[in-house]
Parts: sequence; C-alpha cells; structure tokens
Amino acid sequence: MLHREQMLVLAAAGAIVLLSSALPLGRLLTEIPGAGAAALRILSAPRPWLLLIRSLMLATAATACAVAIGVPLGLLIARTDLPARRFLWMLHAFPMFLPPFLLALGWFQLLGREGFLGSEVTDRLLFSEVGLVVILALTFSPVVTSMVALALLGMDASLEEAARVAAGPWRVATRILLPAARPALVLATIVVFALSVSELGVPMFLRVDVFPAAVFARLGGIQYEPGEAFALVLPLMPIAFGLLYIERRLVGAGSFAVAGLRGMSRAPIPLSGWRPTLAAASWSVAAAGALPLAALALRAARGGGFGQLPQWIGQAPWTSLGTATVAATVIAAVGLVVGHGAARRLRGASMLDALAVLTFVTPASVLGVGLIAVWNRPETSALYTSVAILVIGYTARYAVVGTRAVASVVLQSAVHLEEAAAAAGARFWRRLIWIILPVNLRGIAAAWLLAVVFCLRDFETAVLYYPPGREPLPVRIFTLEANGPPAVVAALAVAHVLMTALVLGAGGLLVPHRRPE
Amino acid sequence: MTAAIDLEGITLRHSERRVIDGLSLTVEPGEVLALLGPSGSGKTSVLRIILGFATPEAGTVRLSGEVASQAGRLVMLPEERGLAVVFQDLALWPHLSVAGNLAFGLKSGGATPREREARIQSILGRVGLAGKERSHPGQLSGGERQRVAIARALVREPRAVLLDEPLSNLDVGLKRELLFVFRDLLKERRNTVLYVTHDLREAAALGDRIAVMERGRVVQEGTLESLRENPASSFVRALLDDFASAGTARSAPGNF
Repeated sequence: MLHREQMLVLAAAGAIVLLSSALPLGRLLTEIPGAGAAALRILSAPRPWLLLIRSLMLATAATACAVAIGVPLGLLIARTDLPARRFLWMLHAFPMFLPPFLLALGWFQLLGREGFLGSEVTDRLLFSEVGLVVILALTFSPVVTSMVALALLGMDASLEEAARVAAGPWRVATRILLPAARPALVLATIVVFALSVSELGVPMFLRVDVFPAAVFARLGGIQYEPGEAFALVLPLMPIAFGLLYIERRLVGAGSFAVAGLRGMSRAPIPLSGWRPTLAAASWSVAAAGALPLAALALRAARGGGFGQLPQWIGQAPWTSLGTATVAATVIAAVGLVVGHGAARRLRGASMLDALAVLTFVTPASVLGVGLIAVWNRPETSALYTSVAILVIGYTARYAVVGTRAVASVVLQSAVHLEEAAAAAGARFWRRLIWIILPVNLRGIAAAWLLAVVFCLRDFETAVLYYPPGREPLPVRIFTLEANGPPAVVAALAVAHVLMTALVLGAGGLLVPHRRPE
Repeated sequence: MTAAIDLEGITLRHSERRVIDGLSLTVEPGEVLALLGPSGSGKTSVLRIILGFATPEAGTVRLSGEVASQAGRLVMLPEERGLAVVFQDLALWPHLSVAGNLAFGLKSGGATPREREARIQSILGRVGLAGKERSHPGQLSGGERQRVAIARALVREPRAVLLDEPLSNLDVGLKRELLFVFRDLLKERRNTVLYVTHDLREAAALGDRIAVMERGRVVQEGTLESLRENPASSFVRALLDDFASAGTARSAPGNF
C-alpha cells in the first residue's frame, strides 16, 4: 500500500516526466490520423523507406563495432592486471561525454584533405559510410566498456573466486564473468543503437544521408516543411517501442544491479604472456578516442583560433552550463523519487521508469518534433522562446539517467534502513529526506553529474528547437562549422572539451567519495 | 486482557508457495515470546507481517485490539503501528551519529528536544554507551552496534519490540554478553517482545514462552519445560537433544 504522502511525491515526480516526455510522444501519436494526406504522400514514396533502412543498417554496424571493442575492453579494465587500467578507462571513456560531431571534426583535422595526416584517400574514406561507422563506434564503445566493467566490478567476488579455483582465466571470463554482465551488455547495446540511430551531427558533417537529417532539413529551413517532418518521424516510433520491449524483456531490473568500483581492488586475473599485446591494443583504442581532440587543439593553436575565441563564443557556454545544471537538478530530483520507487518495485514508479527509457531510446528527432508540436503555440510561446525549452527537452531525453542511476544505488543500500525508519514512525517525506537521500547521496550526486554532462553533450534534440540567440555550445559550433574560420571552430570545440573536463573534474571532487559506513 | 499482538489465521504466499499457512499467535502485554524455527519456516515473514511490511493474503493482525492488517489490506501503515524492530543486520543509519539514530524515532513521535536528550542519555547509560553519542556506527565495535540497535528500539517506548535474530552473526562470547544485556533490559522495562530465532538457547534464555514454527505454522507453544515434556515434532526433539548435549539445560540461561 502506498501512503498518500508517498503517492503525492511520486505523482509530482511523475507529472514532470509526463509533461516533458509523455506529452510530446503522445502528441505525435495523436497526429497519426490527422497526418493523413501529407503522411501518405511522403511515406508512399520509396525514398524515405530506403533512407530509413540505410540508417538502421549504419546504426547496426556502428553498434556491432562498439560492442566488439567495448566487451573485451570492459573485461580487461575491470578484471585483469592491465597496466594503469583506471587511467586507461578514463581516457577511453572521456569522448563518450562529448558531442560525437566534435570527434568527427577532430578526425577531419587529422584525415581530411588538408588534415595533419590527410590525403585524397583518407579524405574519401572519412567522408563515407565507413568513416561514419568507425567514428560512431569509437565514440560509443566507451558506453559498452563502462557498463560491462561496472557490472563486473559490482559482481559478487565469491562467484568469480569459486570459478578461478576450478578453471583457467579464459573459461572464467567467458563462462562466468560475461554471462554475469549480460543484462548490462544488452542495455549497453540498446543505448548505443538508440544513440546511433539518433545521431545527426556526424552524418551531416560527413555528408552521409541518414533519416534524422531528412527530418532536420524539414525543420531547419533548407526544405522547411514541418508537416512532412511530422510524417517522417512516424516510422521511427515503432523502433522506439521495439527497443523498449527488448529492454523490458531482456534487461528490466537487471540493469539496476551495478555496484560501484569496489571490485577494482580485488586480485585481478593475470594476463601473463598476453599482457604486453593486450595492453598495446587497449591503449591504441583509448588513444584513438583522444587523437582527434589533440588534432583540434593543434589546429586551433596553429590558426590562432584561441585568440579569436572571445569574439565568437558568445553566451553559448553559459547557456549550456545554466540549462544543463538546472535540467540535471530536475533529473536528479525526479530520479530520486522514481528511481527509488522503481528499485523498490512500486508499480507507478516502474511505469514512469519505462516511460523514461522509452523517451531515451526514441530517436532524438521524434522527441524534438514532439516537443515543437506541444510547446510551439501562442499560449506557451514564453516558454518556447526561452531557455526553458532546452531544460524541458533535456529533462525529457535524459530523465532515464537519473532514474536508472538512483535505482542502481538504492538497490545497493539495505531496505532495512528505510524499514527501520518507517517502524520508528517516520512518514515517507521524512524517510526520503533524512534516510534515503543521505544514505544514497554519493550515487545521487553521481547521477546529477552524469545528467549535467549528458545535457552538455546534447546536440541532436536541442538543434531542432533552441531559442533564437540562446543556442547551447554544441549547436553554436555546428552552425559555425559550415562557414566559420576552421581554427575558430576548432578552438570552440576545444573550449567545449575543456568545459566538459572541468565539470567532470569539479564534480568528481564534490561527489562524496565514500558511502557512509 | 487484550493481547498486545494477536495474529489470527494468517496466510501469506510468495510466488505460489505458501510461506505462512493459517498461523495464529498471541503475545500478551509485557510478555517475551520467542518464535523459534528452522531457516525457511516463515519466522521473518511473520515479523514483517506484524510490522506492516508484508500484507497477509488471509487473516487478521491486531495490535492491542486494533486491526492493523486484514486479508490483503494494510489498515495501519508501518509508521502508525508504534512498534520497534531490531533487524539481523541492525540497519543502523550510517550517516547519523548514535544520538541521531536514537533521536530519529523520537522526533517522528514529536518529543521535545529536552525530552529527547533525557531519554537518549538514560537509555545509552543503561546499555553502557554513555559518551558515545557523537560516534557514528562505522566507528563502533560489533557489540556496541548491537547495543545501539536495542537502545534505538527501546528509546521510543514502543508498543512492542520485534527482534529478528539480532545475535545470529556474533561469536559465542559476545552473544552471551549481549543476551544478558537484552534479558535484563527487556525484563526491567516490561516490554512486550517477539524474539525471532533459530537457536533454542537464545529462546530459552529470553522467552517467557516459546512458539515453534515449521513450514509456516506454529506446531507447538509453551515453556521450555512443556516442550521437553511433550515435543511435538522431530525438529523440536532434535533441538532439545542438542540443547541437552551442550550441557546448557542445567546451566544458567544464556550460559553457552
């Protein structure tokens, strides 16, 4: 039985999720009957369908490559004696927190016709489907690496130790460790596929035709036709529901079972003779993620881009930081209530968690078009033309970061702590503030930080509806990329990288390092 | 006299398995009832039903005559039942000091700061933890944490105290020491207590009466002597044999 107070708190959190997520998606569903003629006209042509199939194939290829990189690397980082594996993990993971097109921009500085290592051949390769798949795979493989590594580190040590006395490292890895990380791996695969399908910046930069670009073109002025944009997002909705179905069937609460980094201090599995080879391979992958960033810095420095930065950067970093901080605070607060409820298997909370997952796996263009349909009207123009629309969009897309991260940490804290408080006469609100929040503070703070970074890196939703003159930094870089001086664009990209690094660094210092004992 | 805790015809299922099967049980005011049974017999489920953390499928839970749970419905929420609990893992709130752990329930009950201070000092003195108010659970020894847990349960002067195998993870010496502390405290304050255990020695040391549970039912209730005279099952007989062979039957309670 839910107490009235608990129901009210859950309802308030639910209202935020519903308002930001369900309303845009619901609005698009109600558009289906009305879309009639326009939808029929555009969707009866073979071109959108061919484009959709092409996008799905590219996303599948990028996901497969990311999994192929991420699974072995996650295993090596979490459970072997690979040298400096914590640092390797940080270096490899960092690009995951950046807008992917920034890395494409960096690869362009390296392999483009006039790049540091460029030639006709590398340029042709970069501006092709191969270039797109490789860049997306390198950008998103840290998602797989990190989720697999966290699952392995959270695993009960005795399961692994019982296997190690009976089998060699290879059998332990393939028969015990990887099956234990299966829910995390499935979730990582879904996340990478959803991000790849949504990706707009990289394919547009590399001139590879994909489905989200067709939607963007109809909203961004090139072929301005919002009615057609509505029609075009309709085929993407079954993909989102399909991903949600797979997530619920194969992952569900399994993805909550992640437990900190304690496992890093367990005795690692020795790589013996393989150590130098595997270390070289792992460091090469991590370096491949960092290389384009170095190229951007070099281009900016050589072209005097840093000197011109103040003229070009405008208010974009402040818009990015301000909206990301506010949205992350909302996401963390909603995550605390919904994530806690989902971890404790409250029915309403589990439904809200599913909605948050659905909004995340929904291609960003669908969400963007839905947000425009809901908020771009005279009654809400004050919101739509201000930075509030960015906060609403970020909250919708990244609410899942809060709910899943909090659910994961709540599951690691003993339910008896809350039950003892209830038995001591404390009602839900008091338990939430005095017991649940402080006991899980470290995880909630980490969820907040993660949400800030995800909002900072967002490009593909914000680009569809950013308010005039208040664009976030990734949007500013992208819009300048076509016509701005290359050294300035590179300097802006480096500024974004530094901003993200500073946020992560400061957050890392502020997040409590130890759980209360 | 109205029973402090009265369970009548309680049934509970977990994924189609009947964990509690038509169980009835009463604990009189001021009585210490030891609920004894093997692992998986449903003891902890009974405790959770009384606390309001599980809802029985059938049957009624009454607290001092008031219906608290009834056939699929919680009538009173856990925080409204006026009970206190000591879990096996103690569940001390790690971010609060010893005084904070004790004050939490008192604040929920609306005690004034002066009243809280006085009651916390009194109970901490009684359990031998005077001066430890500012320590956090992580800074205490295992025995001290046990004392904080029992102090936290008693400081609110609850309607009844429910203890779920609180001593099961301790070494023999500490268990013996704490058993004396528990027994003296509970007797002195005339608390109504339901003490869940799988150890007959603890049950005999603390309980005025012992109720033996097997497969979700109470198979026998009575004093240690009545159990000895007429053991109702092979489990009870095995427990008594073990108890006797350990030589504890002739010793002082808790001397093991």
